[in-house]
Amino acid sequence: MNAETRILEPGEIEPPTAQIRFLFLADQDLFRLRAERLRFLAKGHSLGDYLNFLSLLADAQQEALNHLSAPPLPEPNEQALCREHGMPLLSASSMPLNPLWRKGLTMILQQMEEADLPLAARETITSLTQRDKTGLDEMAGRIMREELADVSPAELPFVAAALQVSFVRMASALGECSFGQLEQGGLCPVCGSRPVASIVHSDGLRYLCCSLCFSQWHLVRVKCSSCESTRGITLYALEGSNGAVTAECCDECNSYLKLLYLEKDSQVEAIADDLASLALDLLLEREGRLRAGPNLLFHPGTA
Amino acid sequence: MQVTRRQFFKFCAGGLGGSSVAMLGFSAGEALAEVRSFKLTRTTEVRNTCPYCSVGCGLIMSSLGDRAKNAKSTIIHIEGDADHPVNRGTLCPKGAGLLDFIYSPNRLKYPEYRAPGSNEWTRISWDDAFSRIARLMKNDRDKNFVAKTADGLTVNRWLTTGFLAASAASNETGYLTNKMLRSLGMIALDNQARV
Repeated sequence: MNAETRILEPGEIEPPTAQIRFLFLADQDLFRLRAERLRFLAKGHSLGDYLNFLSLLADAQQEALNHLSAPPLPEPNEQALCREHGMPLLSASSMPLNPLWRKGLTMILQQMEEADLPLAARETITSLTQRDKTGLDEMAGRIMREELADVSPAELPFVAAALQVSFVRMASALGECSFGQLEQGGLCPVCGSRPVASIVHSDGLRYLCCSLCFSQWHLVRVKCSSCESTRGITLYALEGSNGAVTAECCDECNSYLKLLYLEKDSQVEAIADDLASLALDLLLEREGRLRAGPNLLFHPGTA
Repeated sequence: MQVTRRQFFKFCAGGLGGSSVAMLGFSAGEALAEVRSFKLTRTTEVRNTCPYCSVGCGLIMSSLGDRAKNAKSTIIHIEGDADHPVNRGTLCPKGAGLLDFIYSPNRLKYPEYRAPGSNEWTRISWDDAFSRIARLMKNDRDKNFVAKTADGLTVNRWLTTGFLAASAASNETGYLTNKMLRSLGMIALDNQARV
């Protein structure tokens, strides 16, 4: 053995890249960034007025999130039970409603009252302000159980906005380490809701974005979030677009979810870009495709 | 679950008339009119393995066109598969140039034969190529197969021919490669074009 040769000690070789990060909880300024993105997309957009309205709603959500007091959280034994059985800790469909959400709704409605809105929107706000506790809680329950056919299209964005604030608040109070992976890769590990869209981060990994609490969780690419099939995955996009917003369709279950690429546009945002690309949904419906997850700030109307 | 899912984005016959947009007093007409001018593009995504070396990096390949409808599809993009445990989305310079490899005018697509002493390659059929290879292998094995060493030890080996298989071959192909070649007594056997 010559002088230059030596045996490496354990730990001297760099370990392989860290594990794939499974979960990102929503940032505390997500609604502010979303409002900015919505305002940007609204310029010259055929649904510009609606996107501008949503940017005001997102501003109101940010304000409510900043001022909402800490919500009651599941007890440690409940947390352990959820982890043990692979259940979402803040299950939207089964957890008792946190009364704090109505406080958020009041804050949001108060802010929106001051905005310059069409008559129909102002009337919706007034009627929501006068609604009693039980009525509001019932509507919230329907939204969380994804029974959107029974929710008024005009009221959905306001009520859902308040629920979103409340779930973001609860998730961030618990912190990322409280949540484990679910068996069903297509449901949010935080609240069990369906994703609004998926986002391919700049490192090439795909994350599904929750429609209710905006947590992002990892799912391998080229896989249907709805039926987990990996065969016949087709991407649709609008001709002439930069390809940052596509729809990932599955031939097995015929459903689709928007797939956004941060590499092609570093500003894309799940909720905002999903709504700004409503044309894609309309065209895919003509192709007979079904959407796999809701965007709670938009109700397509009850047929 | 399926039933509610179908209701997420079921537009009414009129488009956006009953939607949140219209019900909150915003105009939706322009958006609907605009949709008529849009067209959809369609790409297919599949996973694959890089063919170059034994590292076996994961790839995602995108192709234009619909594979299901007998149309000829064209690969338009290849990237490293970020989910793949081997390469986590990275590719070496050779792997990163795979798209050019596919469309290279020098790409070998069929068997060719150059006679000893000649400097010309002539195209031959796959059948001719297989028969010729089999014939030459048999001749060589018949001539050089060693069943026993000088001191009577049974070895059953064939040292004068080697075999290069594919690095992107599946487990099953690898098994068959070994099963077939080892049973012929072949020792020199490799499964990759060396890095």
